[in-house]
Amino acid sequence: MTALGTVWRQRALVAVLVRRELDARYRASFLGFFWSLLNPLLLLAVYAVVFTFIFSPRFPGGEPYPLFLFAGLLPWLFFSGAVLDGSLTLVDNGPLLAKVMCPPEIFPAVTVLSHLVHHLLALPILLAALAAAALAGLHTFPWTIWLLPLALLPWLLAAAGAVLAVSVLAVHFRDLRDLVGHLLNLLFFASPIIYTLDGLELPGPLERALALNPLASLVTVYRDVVFTGRVPTPGAWATAAAVGALALWLGAAVFTHGRETVVEAV
Amino acid sequence: MKGAIRFAGVRKVFRWRGPRQRAETLKGALFRRGRRLPAREHVALDGVDFEVAPGEAVAIIGANGSGKSTCLKLAGGILRPTAGTVAVEGRVTALIELGAGFHPEITGRENVLINGMLLGLTRAEVGARMPEIVRFAELGDFIDQPVKTYSSGMYVRLGFAVAVAAEPDILLIDEVLAVGDEVFTRRCLDRLARMRQRGVTMVLVSHDLELVTAFADRALYLERGRVAAAGPADAVVARYRSDAAGLAAPPEAVRAPVRVVEEGRRWGNGDVEILAVEAVAGGGPLKVLASGEPCTLRIRYLVHRPVTDFVFGLAWHRADGTHVSGHNTELAGLAPLRLAASGEVSCSYESVPLAPGDYLVDAAVHARDGLAYDYWRDALRLRVTGAVEWPGVWAPAQRWRSEGPEWGAE
Repeated sequence: MTALGTVWRQRALVAVLVRRELDARYRASFLGFFWSLLNPLLLLAVYAVVFTFIFSPRFPGGEPYPLFLFAGLLPWLFFSGAVLDGSLTLVDNGPLLAKVMCPPEIFPAVTVLSHLVHHLLALPILLAALAAAALAGLHTFPWTIWLLPLALLPWLLAAAGAVLAVSVLAVHFRDLRDLVGHLLNLLFFASPIIYTLDGLELPGPLERALALNPLASLVTVYRDVVFTGRVPTPGAWATAAAVGALALWLGAAVFTHGRETVVEAV
Repeated sequence: MKGAIRFAGVRKVFRWRGPRQRAETLKGALFRRGRRLPAREHVALDGVDFEVAPGEAVAIIGANGSGKSTCLKLAGGILRPTAGTVAVEGRVTALIELGAGFHPEITGRENVLINGMLLGLTRAEVGARMPEIVRFAELGDFIDQPVKTYSSGMYVRLGFAVAVAAEPDILLIDEVLAVGDEVFTRRCLDRLARMRQRGVTMVLVSHDLELVTAFADRALYLERGRVAAAGPADAVVARYRSDAAGLAAPPEAVRAPVRVVEEGRRWGNGDVEILAVEAVAGGGPLKVLASGEPCTLRIRYLVHRPVTDFVFGLAWHRADGTHVSGHNTELAGLAPLRLAASGEVSCSYESVPLAPGDYLVDAAVHARDGLAYDYWRDALRLRVTGAVEWPGVWAPAQRWRSEGPEWGAE
């Protein structure tokens, strides 16, 4: 956990780097910071059209489906975006690491935090969509949404752990990024994002395999809170928290193991 | 003590696998486990010991691949030694690649903030130094443009300006002065000379042997990761030059204080011998002096036969032979009584308002009638640096006053 200590000591620098990350991403674009809002908005619009008029999948508790999907996708986009960027963060910042000297931990932290900012910026869209659905009588407004910070925390921990591990491994194994892309795809379909676990009728072994997916509890807790309007059971909370904590611990261990040789390898 | 560096038994081994590739692929790691190629090792440094005292300027020289840059990166904490210890005290700034880590999409100002904070300044400190950084880098309004619009010169100037603004205790310099144009290099040298006078420790890696002898007190000569020679910069450079020319110099050349005794450069009857002439400022000896700064020249001597009639003198001239000034104890009104034991004479200048360039100083001790005990031509070589290039030799402090003309801010 020395990685976290280092990040905390360098928090002012991390804050400035997160700003740089956001600035650099939006400066060159015409719409600037509005992209943060526009991206999820466009995504929601596309899903609303596709899953209302083209397919209409039915899952118990999955109505209206576009909103259901959106609630599952938001934390996933945060996680997968951070992990994908994480595979490049140390390589991209190689010049800073090798020529200026700075603790390598700060770059995974910057990646996770800048994706967290994107996530937070998308939340107003979610709120607006929920409110609109409630006004139109399509869905009752989930007042449990105030539990969102708690539901987001396991995602943050899991993303931090995964990014720590992936960032340092990607320095040593340059082809890891391609693999990470495929693994994320697999994980996406293995997670109850476009479906719910109880709405499936699957052969036993496959169902058990899906139940083993550690992200399932995170997806479910988050969606229960921001969409279904149900307070997750203590068991669900505990599972999600344990998954997050374990991911962070593992990620930090991998990072510590590989950190010494990072500068030589980038 | 702040500013000290100590290497004890430092060994650094780089290892990599695979035939040519530096980075192993995951596929290779998973599927070729059985016949994995043995790790190839490259010993960059092997048992290196050296110390740098606070305020000292030390140059590391050697052929390419001798481990110079590795030494610097170890001192900067960028790399860690495989064995041995590296102890560094105080804030370190590494000038390894100027502007490394500038992000092309964001403005110079924001990049300065990030780089300054990476070098250990707080946000507020960077803010306070921003005007000076912009002035030194000569960026003007460009500071608020994205760095990708900068010319390479602007890039390098900004990199240098940030690095020195961090006010380190130790400055590590890797060939960076070779990148800019002449004027920029001179301004950098001037800045570095001022920092030296403030007592900043410097470690310099350079192939420019002229610069090494002008700038460094001591030098470390590395050969295939080992220390081949260490000592006064002139001596070590001489040894390196002769090695490079394929002639191994006798080891005495390094240990004995060098005194190039050439016909016509030194004469006298030897009753009094000048042991050393050095320029000092701010407590330490120096070879580079910022124009307008105070300085003291110190002559150490050894008396072989006591004399009662003696004059100590100094003569300055430019490298091209132009005389600049000559002064001695007799002209200063000092009447000699007796010179029997060894000692020192020093001459202090409140300021040395010379134009930037190389200067040579002759030192002499002679009788009033001119009989030389020891006359040493070119006993000291000093490089004077300045922010502005001056024609001529005199660079006085000046103030202009005018009534009538209108001036704009530059």
